[in-house]
Amino acid sequence: MVPVHRGNGSHDPLTDPRRGVETDSTERPDGADEEATVTATNQATNPVSFRPGEFEVSPDGSGRLLGSRCRTCGAHFFPIRAACSGCLGTDLDKVRFATTGTLYTFSVVRQSTPAFEVPYVLGYVDLPEGVRIMSQISGCDAEEVTIGMELELAVEPFGASEDGTPLVGYRFRPAGAVAPR
Amino acid sequence: MTKVHVIGVGMTRFGKHPDRNAADLGAQALLEAISDAGIDPRLIEAAYCGHVFQGMVTGQRILAQVGLAGLPLSNVENACSSGATAIREASLAIRAGEHDVVAAVGTEHLTTRFAGALTPDPGDPEAAVGATMPAVYAMRARRYMAETGMTREQLARVAVKNRKNAAANPLAHFRKEITVAEVLASRPIADPLNLLDCSPVTDGAAAAILVSDRVAKRLGGGRTVRLAASTLLTGSVETEPTSMTFEPLTRKTAEAAYERAGIGPDEVDFAEVHDCFSIAEVLRVEGLGLFPQGEYPGAVERGEADIGGRLPINSSGGLIGKGHPLGGTGVAQVVELVRQLRGEAGDRQIPHPRIGLAHCRGGKAVGIEGAACTVQILVR
Repeated sequence: MVPVHRGNGSHDPLTDPRRGVETDSTERPDGADEEATVTATNQATNPVSFRPGEFEVSPDGSGRLLGSRCRTCGAHFFPIRAACSGCLGTDLDKVRFATTGTLYTFSVVRQSTPAFEVPYVLGYVDLPEGVRIMSQISGCDAEEVTIGMELELAVEPFGASEDGTPLVGYRFRPAGAVAPR
Repeated sequence: MTKVHVIGVGMTRFGKHPDRNAADLGAQALLEAISDAGIDPRLIEAAYCGHVFQGMVTGQRILAQVGLAGLPLSNVENACSSGATAIREASLAIRAGEHDVVAAVGTEHLTTRFAGALTPDPGDPEAAVGATMPAVYAMRARRYMAETGMTREQLARVAVKNRKNAAANPLAHFRKEITVAEVLASRPIADPLNLLDCSPVTDGAAAAILVSDRVAKRLGGGRTVRLAASTLLTGSVETEPTSMTFEPLTRKTAEAAYERAGIGPDEVDFAEVHDCFSIAEVLRVEGLGLFPQGEYPGAVERGEADIGGRLPINSSGGLIGKGHPLGGTGVAQVVELVRQLRGEAGDRQIPHPRIGLAHCRGGKAVGIEGAACTVQILVR
């Protein structure tokens, strides 16, 4: 595990071993100083998240969903919360969730807002931490999608910002279908 | 503490009203409610207005239309439960002893604000990945079908039943009955839901005049209906994924209402429930404890939820048939309960009902089971 340096100099709860956030111990990119990279001038070449508060994208193109873990009772939440609904504690760590999950249910959406090209598959994905994430399902035909299938997170193009910057977001694909980076 | 009674109700025809707006629809409903109550409008001491997308001070525009001024009025927004929340606020003001006569109005001119699938607030993380309300319910339908074996045809029967009831309601958006085959052949919106599984984009308004015991005895005449409970809850933030085929929020809101009214679900004679989609009626009715979990689709097939059945559900036509002008919906449900309980429901009259229940559930926010849920219990 490579520590992620923060601009404010405080320890990073994501990688603090005292927290035992075991789900964060995998797949961290070996890209030393995230903060410096994000604020660098070569931003145009780095992927930009469509929702930075909920989905973190690293310079190497990998991405993680962000949430909270209650230090008192261990409950996990998506998105980041100010307090735990289980124990009402406010001592919450920011965590990166696992990139694998199981499909709870899904629909093929055929009518949506102009921001989304239809049809697309939308599903609820249960992550090992015990959070359920709504996500589009990609990487397979709609006919192949089934309740209970194993999925993994993929970073994919997700529209553009108002100034035209291409954005990336998350979709889940059938496990094993994500091309190795 | 005083009890709360409904002494007058009114509503516009629900449908598409291209030449109207939310304020004049609301005013029409309010004037009818005042007339129905048979009271001098100057007796109204306060008002609450439920709407979602109609902009600032819509309630004040309604009062201006009907010549009422100088009243305390609050506009309330709770998504599809906005109108029901206005009813609750009015009842609380009376129970608190602050007012004796309060108007609740719900209105929406939705056709000028929305087309097609409703979505959560654009800032919501789920809206950002493509959530639409039909898609959310479609996902619940798929899961329910997988868990219980409900067939697509059984689900369609909910819409068929409600459209049949709507055909007998002169104020309903849709007056034409449909068949199971038509539901299955209608345009797919979000699999497995088709167009005819969905409530339409509707304009309309409804109003009710609520009063204290004291005023009910003086002015209510023989047509008073008691509002025995009006409960409101916000959904829990889940600490772990829970079943999406059952509605703990609906159950909790209903239990609070049953306790307040001093009745059990087995005593409910009929109900108006929030059937924004065919699957929603299934989830709601079971959440309310009116039918056992997993058994409602079969009950609909056997006619148990028909007018004249064991427990009629959505005699008005529901949101699917009567229409769903968001802010108007919760008040319109109370209008239906009052008319049924008074025996004034015409061709769709349920035989001799005594206790009616109305349920609304509105809004979608990431990570919570439901945003705003209301249950009203009315007793004749």
